[in-house]
Amino acid sequence: MVRRVLALPAGRLAVGILSVIVLLAILGPTLAPHDPLGTSALTLAGPSWEHWLGTDYLGRDVFSRLLAGSRTSVLGSVEVALIALVVGVVPGILSVYFGQVFEWFTLRIADTLIALPFLIYAVAVTALLGNGIPQAMFTVGVLVSPLFYRVARASTLAVARSQYVEAALISGASIGWIARRHVWGKVLPPVAVALAQTIGIGFVVVSSLSFLGIGVQPPAPTWGGLLASDLGYLSYQPWAPAVPALLIMATVWGSNLLADAIRDVSGEAGRALLNSRRVRARRLDPAEPIPAGGVAP
Amino acid sequence: MSADGRPVLQVADLEVHYGLRRRRRRVLHGVSLSVARGETVGVIGETGSGKSTFARAVLGLVRASGGRILIDGEDVSRYSARQWRALRRRGVVQYVFQDPLRSLDPDLPIEESLIEPLLVQGVGRKEAVERGRAYLARVRLDSELFGRLPGELSGGQRQRVAVARVLVTEPALIILDEPVSALDSANRVGILEILKELRDAGVALIFISHDLGSVAGVADRIAVLYQGEFVEVGDARAVISNPRHPYARLLVGSAPTLRSAAASRAERDALRALLHA
Repeated sequence: MVRRVLALPAGRLAVGILSVIVLLAILGPTLAPHDPLGTSALTLAGPSWEHWLGTDYLGRDVFSRLLAGSRTSVLGSVEVALIALVVGVVPGILSVYFGQVFEWFTLRIADTLIALPFLIYAVAVTALLGNGIPQAMFTVGVLVSPLFYRVARASTLAVARSQYVEAALISGASIGWIARRHVWGKVLPPVAVALAQTIGIGFVVVSSLSFLGIGVQPPAPTWGGLLASDLGYLSYQPWAPAVPALLIMATVWGSNLLADAIRDVSGEAGRALLNSRRVRARRLDPAEPIPAGGVAP
Repeated sequence: MSADGRPVLQVADLEVHYGLRRRRRRVLHGVSLSVARGETVGVIGETGSGKSTFARAVLGLVRASGGRILIDGEDVSRYSARQWRALRRRGVVQYVFQDPLRSLDPDLPIEESLIEPLLVQGVGRKEAVERGRAYLARVRLDSELFGRLPGELSGGQRQRVAVARVLVTEPALIILDEPVSALDSANRVGILEILKELRDAGVALIFISHDLGSVAGVADRIAVLYQGEFVEVGDARAVISNPRHPYARLLVGSAPTLRSAAASRAERDALRALLHA
């Protein structure tokens, strides 16, 4: 799967962008040239050799704050995606096999979660569990889990009624065997697409929550938090929100590109696409003959 | 195993209903059939007559609401899911689907689909692969196809893989649901030859079809299923040359391949009128 994604230009670009972001998240806090929380008298300064991206309204170095905030932001969105994955995919697959009662209840829970207004729910959970990054991410993860539930359930339904699953049943295979061998491979590509998309959504959500002051507490920096405070000083530094906004956009874009690449290369259609590309590439390059019997995937 | 001539399959007064309460309807009623070792029985019926339900009931995929099913002398009609799984793992009864493309997982190489029943039984992978190769040769397929995906094979090759797949567990009874109706005539002959070899090797076959002509040449006995009941069960030659029930007569008369028995259009219309009366 990884090799197939990398065979597409869009896949390579997505992996490139996302690895830069991941590197930022790992190394960012140590790379920061200044203390991200250290204030100075030099407020709202423009870019200079000392402060590459200028300083904010408290005289803190913006570049350092961006680097230091990347870990929280990235970890937060990944956490959202993983919680949604666990809370959504497992009941989604099981709802097909565990009988009508389980199916009915999980479907109604998913409907309820979809119907809940996001912000009110987030604020209510914050009031209930206290303010903090894990609580906020858990809330968001649970709220987006119906997406995973439905995606996993739909693709499992398509497989569960298929003849090859019935053939495996007739050979005496257990539900676990069928799930591992036949269902998982079919459910994985759409779930991977949903996951990549959710990382993008998680980013926006983490950013907008810190914009509202939920989750990350000031003065701890996050990309969304930076964006929020920069917006307050637009008349002094009209260019300032562009940098955190660009970082957020790049991450979301990278995730979506990756999701597209995964969708393109998975399953039968993906194999056909890659084969036709390879054959076309060979035709342009006559030095390398096409082997008899077609191209192996 | 029963070398003593005990039937591989005995079905007595089988009843199957679908749906619940008011929507409950009868699909099979009072169906009885006995299949001996090495015998080939053709089950003929039109769409909706219950022939696939019959097969699914014997395989335990549909729960019978009455009657008894004995597989190799064992009464399986009250089996729990766990017992069914244990029985299926022994691979005594196997099933070949009509459409070989859909009965093989499109994302798994032929090898994996072929040896799956053995892996489920707990046979080691190495031994399973070896045995799988042997059965691929038996259905006259090159072992070079082992690593291919189902989509890269022709329809005839796929159906051979499906047959090889049910053979790996050395079943005593194979149920074939229209195994050749999706194939061209050359492949059809090829599959039918493989089935004849199986019969000679002592495997019992139940051949399900809507077309009497395709079964007439292979079956020892023929059972005609009409609206969920066996209206005629008997020696293949007797059913074809001297059908007694109007529906069986209509079937014989409508089979274009049984030219000697073909009835005129007027005769067929008369039989239809008799059936609907």
